[in-house]
Parts: sequence; structure tokens; C-alpha cells
Amino acid sequence: MSLIGRRRERQPYEMQEEREVKSPTSWAGRWSRAFLLVFVLFAAWIAAPLSALADPPQPEKAVRGPCVRDAEWMRRNHMDCLKHKREETVREGKAVPTESFLSCISCHPSKERFCDRCHAYVGVAPNCFDCHQYPK
Amino acid sequence: MTMDRRSVLGLGGAIAAGVALAPGLHLIAAPPAPTAASGTGKRWAMLIDTTKCSADCTACTKACRAENNVPLFGDPQRDIHWIRKVELKDQTLRRPAVSLPVLCNHCENPPCVHVCPTEASFIRHDGLVLIDKHRCIGCRYCIIACPYKARSLVFHKTRPAKDANPKVPIRAAGVVEKCTFCAHLIDEGKLPACVEACAKADKGAMLFGDLNDPNSEISQRLRKEKSQTIRADLGLNPHVHYQGI
Repeated sequence: MSLIGRRRERQPYEMQEEREVKSPTSWAGRWSRAFLLVFVLFAAWIAAPLSALADPPQPEKAVRGPCVRDAEWMRRNHMDCLKHKREETVREGKAVPTESFLSCISCHPSKERFCDRCHAYVGVAPNCFDCHQYPK
Repeated sequence: MTMDRRSVLGLGGAIAAGVALAPGLHLIAAPPAPTAASGTGKRWAMLIDTTKCSADCTACTKACRAENNVPLFGDPQRDIHWIRKVELKDQTLRRPAVSLPVLCNHCENPPCVHVCPTEASFIRHDGLVLIDKHRCIGCRYCIIACPYKARSLVFHKTRPAKDANPKVPIRAAGVVEKCTFCAHLIDEGKLPACVEACAKADKGAMLFGDLNDPNSEISQRLRKEKSQTIRADLGLNPHVHYQGI
């Protein structure tokens, strides 16, 4: 008996055709489906914050005015302004009451509705109010 | 870029003229800002008459805590003191015990400022020794350097009390703080809270004023009456003067 003679007998043609019907997708088809599912999930994950970007934060309007600088300037530069005034006030004793932290607070009474809305949106956490008091 | 003969000669001439003239030019210097050290600005100082101070009176320390939002945590090792009452006892018992308030002496040569690695401690133009808490990293070198134990580290996070003074910040944990001579009140032309409280309690033991003004009450009294500073031997030139110790 030769080694060739020990091969398994071939399946009948009918059965082979049946198997083809039972698994309609090939390996490539399965992978492409899995990839599509992952892609959809990933896109949803990306798109969720993007949809939030569509509506920018609405900080509360000042209860009084006008501001010490125009609003457009303040939006970009308030942090530099505060730091500059901080050095002058603390180290040189040149306090300008109209431009002090306390006077910001008098026109923007709520930290949660004014400062925090933008800060949360852009993901910054300034620690001004660990020490300074925001009157309620 | 190409230059014609005329502009090369012109540029060379301008440089030569500049080199020739520059050593003779003098820039006009701006007049120096008035400072305590130069004698042109204010120099805040305090004179405490311990004969008028009694051991049972804590008006100054209470007023300080209220004005500057200094809390008491109830832990003697970690409590913050800007001003504290100290009792001096003569070991030979020949003299009666003296009670006196001790606060930051706002030295002219402050060792705390000298050791500060971040320049958070500094001398202001009017001679006040202050801490820029935005810069303080809480290393506590200054606490070790200060011979008056005037400084405290904030170990705890605090929240503002309901009746907190909104003009003075509360504190973040991990920074050093001390008496500021109530700098925020001085800048408004008022007296420090402890001095006000002492006068209100009918003691009048504390006198605050400008040493650079020869006509101020404190200058006149320091000239006429005998006074001394604590640890004068250290050569720090402190600006809290005492009488009767």
C-alpha cells in the first residue's frame, strides 16, 4: 500500500456545492464588514465632539458696561492683561481699581456662566479662584 | 541685492559718522522712581509700646484674622499666624512679664527675600516685604531664614467663610504667607487692621507711620523716646520697634 493510497476520499460533488451555499461570504467579505463597523464606530466617536464645535459657547452677557477694553480684544488677551496687572499690583503696588479682578466680577457676576463656559470648551483650567474670591 | 556706488559710499559715510559721534552721545536717564531705600519714597514702620499692651487683650490678632481671612485650623503645628501674642518672662523674676505682639518686621535686609529661589518674596518700593503667592513654590526656605517666626506655610485647603473679606484672597494650599502690614489698606491710605483694632480697644499701643517723613509721629517718637528692635544684633534693620522690653 503506497502513501498515496492513504489519501481521504473526495467528497461527493453535491456536498461541496451545499457547503458553498451555507457560507455566502468569503474571508475578504467578512474583513471588509468588520472594518466598516469599526470605521462607523470611530467616525461616531470623532463626530460627537465635532458636533459640539458647531455651536460655540455662549458666555453670559455683562450686567453692566462698558468693559475696560473692547470685547474682541478681551476675548483674545484677557489672560495677558490679568497677568500684567497682577505683576504690577502685587510687586509694584500700582493697583488700578477699575481694572482689578474685583471689578471684573462686578460686571460678570457668575463664574460658572461667564468664565467656565469658554474655559471648559477650550479645555483650560486656570486656578485664579483657588485663592481669589468670586462673590456669590 | 545690488547697490550702486553712491549708496555704498553714503552708507559707509553714515557708519563712519556714527562711530565717531557715538561715544560723545549721552542718553537722557529717566529720574529714578521713589523708593524706601533711597529715602525718597515711603518707609512704613511700626512702634509698639508694650507697657500699654496687656496679656489678656487679643484685639490685634482677632482683627488681623478677620481682615486678612486667616483661618484657625485648630492644629497648633499647622495654624497660620500673621501676628501673635508673645509673653516675655524675666528668668530672674526681677521684672514683670511683658506681653507683646510679634509680626513680620519688614526688615531692610530681609533674609527671607535673600533665600527665596523664585523671587516670590520681595521688597516693595515702600519697604514692605511681601510674598507674590503666584510665584511661591512652598519650599519653606524663608520660614527657616526668618528669625521672627513670622511666616507660615498653608498646609490645608481653605474655603472662604461666609463673612470673608472679599478684598483679600483666601489661600491655596502649599504657599507661604505672612503679615503684609495690610498692604491693601495702606494703598487706600488707611491704617493696618491691627493698629486700628488696638486704638479701638483703647490701648493705643501700636503706632504706624512713614519713617522717611521726619515730621510723622513715629519718626518724632523714635527720635525722642527710647526704643529697640528684636534681635537687633542680626543687622537686619527691622521696622517694628518696641518700647518697654
